[in-house]
Amino acid sequence: MRKLLDAMQRFRPHFEEGGRLRPLKPVYDAAEGFFFAPLAVTADAPHLRDALDLKRFMAMVVVGLLPCVAAAVHFFGLRVLAMILVSYAVGGTIEVLFAIVRKDEINEGFLVTGLIFPLTLPPGLPLWMVGVGIAIGLVLGKELFGGTGRNPFNPALVGRCFLAIGYPAAMAGSWLKPGTGTLGRLVQYVDSSVVDAASSATPLAAAKHGAFASLADLFWGNVAGSAGETSAIAVIVGGVILVVTRVASWRTVAGVLASFALLNAALHRLDPAAFAPVVWNLCAGGLLFGAFFMATDPVTSPATNCGKWAYGIIIGAVTLLIRSLTGYVEGVMFAILLGNIAAPLLDEVAVRIRLRRLRDEI
Amino acid sequence: MKTLSVRGGYNVAVAGRPGSDVEVLPEPAVLYLPLCTRRFAFTELRVNDGQRVRPGDAIAVDPKNYGVPLLAPRAGTVRLNAASGHAVIEDPEPAADYARDPGPDEPRPEQGSGESCEKQRQLLALGAWQYFTDARTSRLPDPFATPQAIIVSTIQLEPFVSRGDVQLRDRLAEFVRGLKHIQSLLEHQPIHVVLPRVKSRLALDLRERLAGFPHVNIVSVPLRYPFDNPRLLARHLKLRPNPDQPVWAVNAAGVLAVDRSLTRQLPCIERLISLGGPGVREPRHLKAIPGYPIDMILAGRLNDGTVRVLNGGGLTGNALPPEQLGLDVECAGLTVLPEQAEREFLAFMRRGFDRLSYSKAFMSCVLPIALLHHTGLRGEPRPCVACGYCEEVCPAGIMPHLIHKYLYRDGLEEAEAARVDLCIGCGLCSFVCPSKIELCRQMLEAQQRIARELHAEEANP
Repeated sequence: MRKLLDAMQRFRPHFEEGGRLRPLKPVYDAAEGFFFAPLAVTADAPHLRDALDLKRFMAMVVVGLLPCVAAAVHFFGLRVLAMILVSYAVGGTIEVLFAIVRKDEINEGFLVTGLIFPLTLPPGLPLWMVGVGIAIGLVLGKELFGGTGRNPFNPALVGRCFLAIGYPAAMAGSWLKPGTGTLGRLVQYVDSSVVDAASSATPLAAAKHGAFASLADLFWGNVAGSAGETSAIAVIVGGVILVVTRVASWRTVAGVLASFALLNAALHRLDPAAFAPVVWNLCAGGLLFGAFFMATDPVTSPATNCGKWAYGIIIGAVTLLIRSLTGYVEGVMFAILLGNIAAPLLDEVAVRIRLRRLRDEI
Repeated sequence: MKTLSVRGGYNVAVAGRPGSDVEVLPEPAVLYLPLCTRRFAFTELRVNDGQRVRPGDAIAVDPKNYGVPLLAPRAGTVRLNAASGHAVIEDPEPAADYARDPGPDEPRPEQGSGESCEKQRQLLALGAWQYFTDARTSRLPDPFATPQAIIVSTIQLEPFVSRGDVQLRDRLAEFVRGLKHIQSLLEHQPIHVVLPRVKSRLALDLRERLAGFPHVNIVSVPLRYPFDNPRLLARHLKLRPNPDQPVWAVNAAGVLAVDRSLTRQLPCIERLISLGGPGVREPRHLKAIPGYPIDMILAGRLNDGTVRVLNGGGLTGNALPPEQLGLDVECAGLTVLPEQAEREFLAFMRRGFDRLSYSKAFMSCVLPIALLHHTGLRGEPRPCVACGYCEEVCPAGIMPHLIHKYLYRDGLEEAEAARVDLCIGCGLCSFVCPSKIELCRQMLEAQQRIARELHAEEANP
């Protein structure tokens, strides 16, 4: 590996001050930083530092998403990989462009955004829409606010929201039937133009007309839906990895799922027609995916523990209400974006309470 | 007995924990006494160049710290110009216990009189007083003031400084006698003796011996860094800060020093220090004297490769400057860390059986194998992502990430309202931060700036 480092460093002068490729320095730095741990050492106490850095932090989210990716490819075919590729290519380009303009380093956040985004989309969506969506999401949701760490909204959800509002017909008409058998669609590349692969409705949409998919299908993911969200078991496995490794906050997840389940249980009793049974509703749609992977984004969720509880409760409750009482089939996306809007306020309240308590500390 | 419920804290599992065996270092050929330490600056010299000193003679005193003396550890000839910043003792003679009578030029108390005042004077002159700290400011307290309470800590939790249980081994009787002496300095103020919340032989023994003492209050705390911190303990014990009635803190070594100086009238010279950390071949405790050449301590004891030697523990210790040649009078331990030598290939993708982390993002949380510690920053600095780790580990109960944001926009008043002053500088927030932000340094700097810019008038009316 010494040779690779030497080879890379031979090009370094071109990217330094006065070099021909000076504007591309963030790209070089990102590449070198990706392959080789930085040489920086501590200058001040504490001289010991934790081995966790933001690269590993984001890499853990990618690891957590892998079961979902596997399930998506299994049920919806190689097209999912193409969507991921497009998302990474467009997202990476935008991240690089902004880093060059800002003369800042390229942050690792887009590794997660670029993977999460296609998993939230209908698997038959035209690829150009995937590109447009991630571009809008990153620019409007993140870069304009200053990049990773300063964005108020989850960029993947901003992109998806844009697509849902801008191209409602394509979004509603791009569902695919999941592949069957052991192989599923592992070796197929289908989109919604293939007649026998296109699906008209997701389980939540069908449930509005009283047709409930079987719970086993929801659990394993053998239903139509957004690419990464259909398999409850894959989401749970990945999500538990995140919670156990402390990359995702268990408080947010617990807040979302508990508020959703409790409210659903209560309302199901009152009006069984409008509100689906609790366990079915938990496994259907994107609730689990949203709770484990989208709501827990540390940047866009509140920083305080009390804030996280409140934020989770808002998301869970709003999801249920949108899902069951409005014309929309699914409410997770709007609920989380609403939660993102509320997050600074929740933090403000939690911080004030906390500071009032701290004020009299000795 | 009182059990403190605490929040935050984290034990950093660094390799190289010193065992409880104590090695006595051989007599040195020359002594280099640093004239500047963390708290003290011994600027007022009491000897001339070339003068012979006896063990326990004051070589210099610190006029800003109640005249705390720098004692000669051995008899020998003092050289003041041989090494800059040091008083050098040439040809030191081997130790001999020796009681000395105070010279006429030693600091005399101006206020107060009576027996306890005499005792305090003796503590100061014989080098026991320097073990005391003001729990709030961690500076040297005024020996002639009256404290509202004394915190006696028998534990040292930072990786690594010399541990209380090693200090106290076979010396419990002296410790208890020292406590009696400390009690005689007070009128009725409480002494809080801090014991670990574990069933150890030492804790049981101490509890038994201290059972009948009036005014002694036994406090047990979990063995989690940094709950040996005097300021934190004072807060948990609800001792209100009061400049006229400070809280004194002293550790096990300090109580033994009190016993030595008041029972046997001997100068307190020997120190038990630890030598630990992943860069040390055989981590252990050492019996040393101030001025002992650091080269001689480290010779043959280090692992191969370049290392960084810290004066103190791995979290609050400072790198030993190359110009410091000998142990200083405040040193509690040397921690040796290997310098990061190589840039690891795809470091963030490793399984990480050897990675030390507060998060559970590495396999080391299941099976730690040969944890890899070095001085690397372990990542690139990034903006805060509000992961909340710093708040979780903060033992003072403040929100480092919030204060960081306030300070980022220069909101000094906001940082003050967020109680940055409660920070005890334990370094855990900087340790856990995945964005590699120097939270601890920023907060300590903010404390100084607040004192300087916002409260300058209160300090000098």
